[in-house]
Amino acid sequence: MAPPAAAYERRVLVSAAQHCYLRVRLELPDGAARPGAPQLKQLVVAALRELHGEVGAALPVDVLAYEEKSLCAVLRVISGGLVKLWSALTLQGFYQNRRCAFRVLQVGGGLPSITAVLCVCLAPFFPFLPFLVSNDLT
Amino acid sequence: MSAPLRRLQQAPRHLLVCEKGHARHERSRHAAHVRDHAYNCRVSVLIPECGVLPQVLKSAVADLGEYYVVRGLSVHQLVAHEFVESFVRKGSCYALAYNTRIDQDNTAALLPTGKLILSVDKDTYEELGLQGRPSRYSGKKPMRYIITIDLTDSSFHPDGKKHKRVLWALKEKKPLEFDFLLAWYNSGAEGSTLMSYFSKNQIQALKPKVTFSTLRDLQCPVLQSNELQGKPEESCSTEELFEWLGAVLNQVNLDNVSSSFLSTYCCPQPNTIVDQAFLCTITGFIIPEKIIQLLEQLCCYFGEPKLAQWLTLTVHGFADSPVSWRENEHGFHKGGENLYNFVIFRNLDYWLQMALGTNDDCPP
Repeated sequence: MAPPAAAYERRVLVSAAQHCYLRVRLELPDGAARPGAPQLKQLVVAALRELHGEVGAALPVDVLAYEEKSLCAVLRVISGGLVKLWSALTLQGFYQNRRCAFRVLQVGGGLPSITAVLCVCLAPFFPFLPFLVSNDLT
Repeated sequence: MSAPLRRLQQAPRHLLVCEKGHARHERSRHAAHVRDHAYNCRVSVLIPECGVLPQVLKSAVADLGEYYVVRGLSVHQLVAHEFVESFVRKGSCYALAYNTRIDQDNTAALLPTGKLILSVDKDTYEELGLQGRPSRYSGKKPMRYIITIDLTDSSFHPDGKKHKRVLWALKEKKPLEFDFLLAWYNSGAEGSTLMSYFSKNQIQALKPKVTFSTLRDLQCPVLQSNELQGKPEESCSTEELFEWLGAVLNQVNLDNVSSSFLSTYCCPQPNTIVDQAFLCTITGFIIPEKIIQLLEQLCCYFGEPKLAQWLTLTVHGFADSPVSWRENEHGFHKGGENLYNFVIFRNLDYWLQMALGTNDDCPP
């Protein structure tokens, strides 16, 4: 016998997510060595240690996804650690003695929220398309 | 705890509304939720146990319609009587300012209900001289104002004072000009098209971009349609599914161990491994009418026996849209998320998750 149709139910969850998610991009000068995924994680942990000490370095941060070609990564951190992680990334200025910068592209409380929107080819019509600008279909 | 320490541990507010119901119930609100969310930039469909585009979706995906990009369009042209009569009253007209930031720039949007929403900064508001209200998320000193003009109101006719005032404000006092994304849905009625109406402006017609991919050996959570909160050892909760779906869309590795250095994320338990899953992604300016058609066809997918227990439809809204659902004000804060996700089960039960950020109201 088929199960009965689901009754209507509504639940509202306010800040119930345990984690926050960030999409970041590492900017490096031309010719600098590109880090692999473990090196990137090491860099993030070093940044946390630099700013927030050993307690900061012990913050559970996951590198969920990493693309070496574009140096874009998706990071996951517990909600209470978002400010610490974001501030540590902002102030991280060096990778292997070369200047670097972390650009935080997207922040969200849910992982679907930081899905990078695929590029819509408006380039011939709009010659200048800044990366991931608002309302932009990039 | 002192205030600075408390601030160190604060995260932006995240709102997740989860609903469950049955798609064929007479009072089901699933279509209403889709209709109320006017501006959508990305639609993703994930069907487990499926390798190619299903037959039921072929026509829906082929018939996504067109949207238009108009460069340097003055807002007063959207208020013009001819435009209102030709497009706003006859069908659903959608317009959204393109390339503007909701927390910094002025922005305009036209809803299918005929309401023109202008989200402007304090200086522009004072120069415009139109009546509006301060933004709900502006703080003690309002720096942002929202002006709503009902173009289909009976008192808004060309001879009326209201119309003359609005036209004067937008044409002479403080002309506002944006690049717009436009779309029009008129259920088959004949009439002029946006392309011919705006032929003097730089207008270009575009089609939404569709991509397909097949995912192999995907771990999928086990769900029970009646259990939104999940049952330990039996099914996953709606929050776990939401996170898992984000992982799939972001191509995150689902197979980590707790001692792994890089990532400890793994698929929620209990889960099954499916040989293949079909992922279809549509990007562009997609109107709710097309999404409702897609949703209906996805419900028809289970008309024949299928291996899949459920499938998902995820819709992302624009981060810088001035409204989220209906006329609820939407702010960017740190993320600007406004998205919703349907999980359709074999028996046509559905789960709906609506996610919003800090500067947002609870959706209806």
